[in-house]
Amino acid sequence: MNQRVAQSSNPLLTNDSGEHSHRVALTTQKTAIITKQMICMFIILGTFPLWSEWVGLYNYLGAEIAIWIIYALGFNLLLGYTGLPSFGHGAFFGIGAYAYGLTQLGIIESVWAGIFFSVLAGGIAAAVVACFISHRRGIYYALMTIAFGQIFWFTSMRWHTLTGGEDGLLNIHRGELNLGFFSFSLSETSSLFYFIFAIVMLVTVGLWRLVHSPYGKALQAIRMNEMRARFLGYNVWLIKWSVFMISGAIAGLAGGLFALVQQSAYPDVMSLHASGLIVMLTLIGGGFVSYWGPVLGAIVFFMARDTLGAMTETWLLWYGLMFMLVIIFKPEGIAGLWQDLMKRREKRQLKVNGSTENASGEAK
Amino acid sequence: MDILINLLPHIVNGLSLGLLFGLIALGFMLIVGVMELINLAHGSLFALGAYFAMTIINPDLSSWGAIGAWYVSLPLGFRYFLGLVIGAFLVALVGMGLEVCMRRTYGKKAEYGLLLTFGAALVIEETIRITWGSGEQFLPVPKMMSGAFIAGDMIYSTYRFYAAGFGAFMIFVVWLFLEKTPFGAMIKAGAHDSEMVRALGVNLTRLRLYVFAFGALLAAIAGIILTPIWGLRPHVGVDVVIPAFLIIVLGGIGSFWGAIIAGVLVGLVVAIVGAYASQWSLMSMYILLIVVLTFRTRGLLGKKSTLEN
Amino acid sequence: MFEKRTIQSLKTLLAAGAIVTLGAGVIANTAFAAPVPLVIGFTSDSSGQYANSGASDRRGMLMAIDEFNAKGGVLGRMIKTVHMDTETTPATGSRVAERVIAREKVGFLIGAVSSGVANAISQVAQSHGVVYLNTNSSSPTESGKNCHRVKFVWDGNGANFAQAAIKNSIGAYGKDVLLVTNDYVWGHNTSDATRKLVLANGANIIDEILVPQGTRDFSSVLLKIQQLKPQVIAVAVGGDDLKAMRSQIAQLGLGDKYAWVNNQQDWPDVYGLPADNLFGVFGTTWYYGMELPGVDTFVTKYQKAYPDNKMKVPGNVFYNGYWATRSLLETIERVGTTNNHAVIKGLEKLRIPAEARMQNHDAWMNAKTHQMQQTIYLATRNANPTSDDDMFTMLSYAAPEKVADSGAEATCELESFADTPVYTP
Repeated sequence: MNQRVAQSSNPLLTNDSGEHSHRVALTTQKTAIITKQMICMFIILGTFPLWSEWVGLYNYLGAEIAIWIIYALGFNLLLGYTGLPSFGHGAFFGIGAYAYGLTQLGIIESVWAGIFFSVLAGGIAAAVVACFISHRRGIYYALMTIAFGQIFWFTSMRWHTLTGGEDGLLNIHRGELNLGFFSFSLSETSSLFYFIFAIVMLVTVGLWRLVHSPYGKALQAIRMNEMRARFLGYNVWLIKWSVFMISGAIAGLAGGLFALVQQSAYPDVMSLHASGLIVMLTLIGGGFVSYWGPVLGAIVFFMARDTLGAMTETWLLWYGLMFMLVIIFKPEGIAGLWQDLMKRREKRQLKVNGSTENASGEAK
Repeated sequence: MDILINLLPHIVNGLSLGLLFGLIALGFMLIVGVMELINLAHGSLFALGAYFAMTIINPDLSSWGAIGAWYVSLPLGFRYFLGLVIGAFLVALVGMGLEVCMRRTYGKKAEYGLLLTFGAALVIEETIRITWGSGEQFLPVPKMMSGAFIAGDMIYSTYRFYAAGFGAFMIFVVWLFLEKTPFGAMIKAGAHDSEMVRALGVNLTRLRLYVFAFGALLAAIAGIILTPIWGLRPHVGVDVVIPAFLIIVLGGIGSFWGAIIAGVLVGLVVAIVGAYASQWSLMSMYILLIVVLTFRTRGLLGKKSTLEN
Repeated sequence: MFEKRTIQSLKTLLAAGAIVTLGAGVIANTAFAAPVPLVIGFTSDSSGQYANSGASDRRGMLMAIDEFNAKGGVLGRMIKTVHMDTETTPATGSRVAERVIAREKVGFLIGAVSSGVANAISQVAQSHGVVYLNTNSSSPTESGKNCHRVKFVWDGNGANFAQAAIKNSIGAYGKDVLLVTNDYVWGHNTSDATRKLVLANGANIIDEILVPQGTRDFSSVLLKIQQLKPQVIAVAVGGDDLKAMRSQIAQLGLGDKYAWVNNQQDWPDVYGLPADNLFGVFGTTWYYGMELPGVDTFVTKYQKAYPDNKMKVPGNVFYNGYWATRSLLETIERVGTTNNHAVIKGLEKLRIPAEARMQNHDAWMNAKTHQMQQTIYLATRNANPTSDDDMFTMLSYAAPEKVADSGAEATCELESFADTPVYTP
């Protein structure tokens, strides 16, 4: 116990040193770097441009879904794993988008520099906000994030010499992606999609490692019971602060990519409504019960919006009703539904196995 | 001295605005306090109340012949009263329906309840759009209450003062109800300890139903009273739910007077900032909240609540 | 939609049959190879702040398209429409534009109320070379800083309306001008245009009250106005903020107490409100009560097309949507192709006689800014209305040259044709 207290006084350190930390053995169960589900998702998503047109979808939608997968995975680190509801996360997404645009328009036309600054800006903004809220929980936490989100939103609207206000920051060129040995143009949405997809893979694998590291266990301990986590020797404040910052940096990354795809940045992504969407789709997907919840949520949300939106002008009514039904009857979301299905199948298989054994026994 | 004379009208204005904010927050406060549920549909119920009242006050009765003509010829004040009562009552029924939907989320994470009401808000807003169209509507005000009065150099809206007065009255009524009736005592007990209430043999299911209906009723009343000031459109709910939320947290969850004081405080701050640095008026609410919550963990008069977990 | 198309190809068949010189084989050919319909994408908002104006906009576009379809479409092709809600949100605007271009293969995009959404759509449209008509967003930046080769703007903008109103008001009411400005880009652009005009006319600005977007309570602003005692108040407040402000001014009866100069009042925003909600003078491009030839027929046509609509008469938003669409289709007929470069060149030379457009002066497209130059009207509340719908009185009108947005040409840099992808839907 003593040893634990001493080491966990800086849980970030364990995170940084990752696998090499000797705390791993204490808290982490071994998991593969790449899992079956990951490969499955990478294959489906990675081949999207090949079959999208065939099923009536289009590459831009794919790129947007991929970006929101990144955003939602980062968000779920906070909501699902640590149990901290942030209702102002759109702010960091928006800050990332502006940082990307301002880098391109004001500093240097480089995709990498843009992404670097969007991650940095999202992370710094989140780190500042986290200083005010990391000793909070529950509703007060949620409300403080709303208040900060609104302040960022107002600022982006008001500071129009920098952000272009509601007209947005325009003419952000997609440009060339320089990979050192060769470079290719991102002006086609399909090539852009593959670039974003590569980042989705990195984020998915990276976050999977993170949640299965000691740091990830600490997050879950805080979600279960903050008090107990503190008694266990975790520096709860620092962990909450850092997870908010990481989540904000990932939101910034997603926002930067969105500015790249949309070739512009607008304040709307920072509005309370947009911040609500990320919570909504993470939960619909099942972020509380599965790592894959946010991925499913992003896919379902954008698909539903696209198909319902083309069919009826009142799509929000149908979407709202669907959403209510999910919350009432299956609050664990799509991932929860899937898990139930798997469990049922397992049970059935057990039964079947059992009966075949009997059968074979009789035959003998 | 000059500054004071200049400031005075804004203080008066801020107080009236604060009472209106208090009125907006009442229904929200009741539901948060008793059920520990953040009702994001509060704004939509607010709007729905106003739309119902509008339809009752000025219905389209062209196909009803003589009865229609007779109804429209009734004095506006009477129809307005009918609109207020029936509109609020209908919204209370909608609130009951919503509460029935909520039942499966009790005992689960607070986020689920919050998200369910978020979905309900979408549904109500879209239903309003389909039924009444997306255009701007208005609620006529009885002659006696409309117009303006002059105080010194300033012109104030008469209706606004009636509305603020009514806000104060409603605050008083709700306070009386909570403090002086057995039902109120039950609600207050339920707010702090649902186990206890159940042990006392109170039907908790029914209590929740009534509380939700009452909260919806108060939202509708606020909507009907505020519409002549803010105007009416399907998405008006968004303008309402955020200040309500903010006031409750600023005042402290579970505290009646905390919310009222917070409402008045927000009204004063918004009005005074609005007069001297108007571009900051909306932002000032949020800054106030952050400042207060940074120094007072549970808002002004907050009590411990399970929503903190 | 498919059934409609079949009927139309039958019509084509009959028309072909009437031409005696054509052989039966040719007729059968026309019937089987019915020309591919031309798809037009509607990108106006149906939810959010501008839902109501968006619906009115759409009705205007549809009426123009129905007229063309009734006489056999454009260049012999029937016109199909697709619509998706842009939600008054730029991110959705981008996606919707990408979607309808990629999936529905739209030939043209029409519709906008919010300038952010218009910007998002026009960037996508420019990168694909799809001609886009901004029907109703009146931000000066639309035909200035954010102009595009493929985008054409059909509404008068803040600068036009200020030109029409400011000089008159200063002359009539006095030189102490107060600005009340919505604290966002449209508000600032409009108030800048006003400020220049005020100073150019020898008047002075006593103060500027900035109102944040999303303000619902204007009481402190109105009290401040009373303390400042201005002679003229130039208002650049838009959207829902203006709606709330309007009802609060009406309550105080301040509408008649000051000389308000209100940039623009969109018909769908004021329709059905009590008369005292309209305050001061304001700009518009068209009103159904104007005594000009053709107006009555136009109104009747509207009422026939939309008998059940709550809005009994067409307004400026409808008018802009209708004329943008009609002019586009007429231009396609004139240039004889749907090739985007040809259509753009055709639109740049567009000139419509006053009688046809039911305005007092000829209207023409400014080839440098892509903004329609048209008569700007000043209107005020009608004190003696003949019916509930008769809300405006027209005070005066100004020729397009007199109210031209002088700043636009300096800031607008259209992409060259070489940089605009060729697109032939």
